[in-house]
Amino acid sequence: MQDILQRIAVCIERGKASLKSLYPPDMKGQEGVAELTEKALKKGISAQEVLNKGLIFGMHSIGEKFSRGDVFIPDLLIAAQAMNAAMELLRPRFESGEIHHKGTFIIGTVSGDLHDIGKNIVKIVMEGAGWEVIDLGTDTSTESFIKAIKNSPGALVGMSALLTTTMLNMEKSVRDIHVKYPYIKVIIGGAPITENFRKDIGADLYFPDPNKLVEYLKAGN
Amino acid sequence: MTSKQRFLAAINRETPDRLPVTAHHVLPYFLETQMNGISYQEFFDYFGLDPINWVVAYKPDPSRGEYFDPEQGELGFLEPPRICSDNWRIKTEEIQDPKYKTVRFNFETPKNNLSMVLQSDKHTTWVTERLIKDKADIDIIAEFFTVPLCDVEEVNKQAEAFGEKGMIRGFIPGFDVYGQPGCWQDAAVLYGIEQLILETFHDPQWVHTLLKILEKRKKAYVSSMEGAKFDIVEHGGGDASSTVISPKIFDEFVAPYDVELIELAHKAGQRIVYHTCGGMMPLLEKIADMNPDAAETFTPPAMGGDADLKEAKKRIGDRLCIIGGFDQFHYFKDCTPEDTRQEVRRCFEEAGDGGGYILAPSDHFFNAEIKLLRAYAEEARKCEY
Repeated sequence: MQDILQRIAVCIERGKASLKSLYPPDMKGQEGVAELTEKALKKGISAQEVLNKGLIFGMHSIGEKFSRGDVFIPDLLIAAQAMNAAMELLRPRFESGEIHHKGTFIIGTVSGDLHDIGKNIVKIVMEGAGWEVIDLGTDTSTESFIKAIKNSPGALVGMSALLTTTMLNMEKSVRDIHVKYPYIKVIIGGAPITENFRKDIGADLYFPDPNKLVEYLKAGN
Repeated sequence: MTSKQRFLAAINRETPDRLPVTAHHVLPYFLETQMNGISYQEFFDYFGLDPINWVVAYKPDPSRGEYFDPEQGELGFLEPPRICSDNWRIKTEEIQDPKYKTVRFNFETPKNNLSMVLQSDKHTTWVTERLIKDKADIDIIAEFFTVPLCDVEEVNKQAEAFGEKGMIRGFIPGFDVYGQPGCWQDAAVLYGIEQLILETFHDPQWVHTLLKILEKRKKAYVSSMEGAKFDIVEHGGGDASSTVISPKIFDEFVAPYDVELIELAHKAGQRIVYHTCGGMMPLLEKIADMNPDAAETFTPPAMGGDADLKEAKKRIGDRLCIIGGFDQFHYFKDCTPEDTRQEVRRCFEEAGDGGGYILAPSDHFFNAEIKLLRAYAEEARKCEY
């Protein structure tokens, strides 16, 4: 059992989605995450175990390497694509309640900002850590954040900005969210964001790196 | 020294009289909203910065049946004139949008038509619909694209008028709409950076084919630059930074194409600055190996980059001129003039030793306080050799 879960984790880390995937070249012709996940479920391994000990373990491993600067965004993107191949298979089990996400994370690039690669990386790392991510996209209005919170009242909210001009729009969104939902934690990030800026606008948390957010949440915060 | 001599000394890795100090781009938004609408050149004079004059001078090649796009309106900031042919017509169409100015660009060819959509606000412009929607679209581009050539006479006319005042800067042309200098950067605009990265894994040959098409168009321009009196020509782009791609992708998909253009530019007597707004540290030697004359922007960690100027100077300072490294997010706003002066000193102490360094913000800025810009310029002028 351990063996197949380890193989799933390795396939995630290497970005091997399925048997058909040509990448990575040294794994050509080998089973990928999709086939191994199916096989594991058929063997009677619980979906929760496949998720935690295979998929999340693999994503955690690549995420740590990313944090250390040993791998780069392309490695995360290809790993996320491999993870998605398994998540498609697990989706009905999430819907039936057989397995659960660790929580819900609403994310969007702040109003006026069209940059999405940073937001997408946070999304990948959070999904890889077992969270359900509701991606509101770019140029997200305060109203869109509030609507999403209304539909997922226990969610955490993440907000990103790349520009010094658009980061200022975070203040309004954070303030309006806190007025309506004082208990909701709003986490901010992006190239120009600093801890001092977080304090100034009243956001709850700031992380310079998505893995630090995951570590914070894993610590039970 | 004149500003021009000062710039050229630094680019040639010689020691100027003092630290050259400038601004990469000065955006129209900033000049209009915070400088009472003064002109681009008045901005440099007002603060006593070493001026840059961007020159965009294209011409069509009539022997290819190409001509200036008769439908293009007034050119925006650094917007080049578009070149069309009977087989490559560009039609624009305004789309009603409640928030942003939205324009669709339709590329009409004898085969399929292509299109892309741009949006803009008071600060900037961005792509909302990519040109390449289907992989086969690149065959259309390859068959019908037009080629801008350098209008050497116009460049030299502007260079002569500018004289010793400062540096004449150009760029390697990108695609007709929202184009970028580097081949990879241009491809990222046309296809989307995440999609392009994933294709390097799934269909690397297709990515190479696209890059070759874009490179061919740029090569024609670069070859035509011979005799043009640019002081430096921009190449590259931030999508080839290590905060977006890996060194492996840089080696396989960026360097092989961009280095050929640098070689060709050198043959045409031009100097190249390789622009990498984003992470650079894992790529420093790879950038230097392409043999550009200068590299920028050395974005510091506090702005989302990773530049360690001192380390960069040690590793590649003997191979090219370093431009940038100043943190404009934190030292052009919300700090004291003394903080700004200290940031200038930091940059000078870390990268200025022996020359070969031009102080500049790490790319453009939207907002800045006048007193801080003044402190920036004044302190830099005191950094003498």
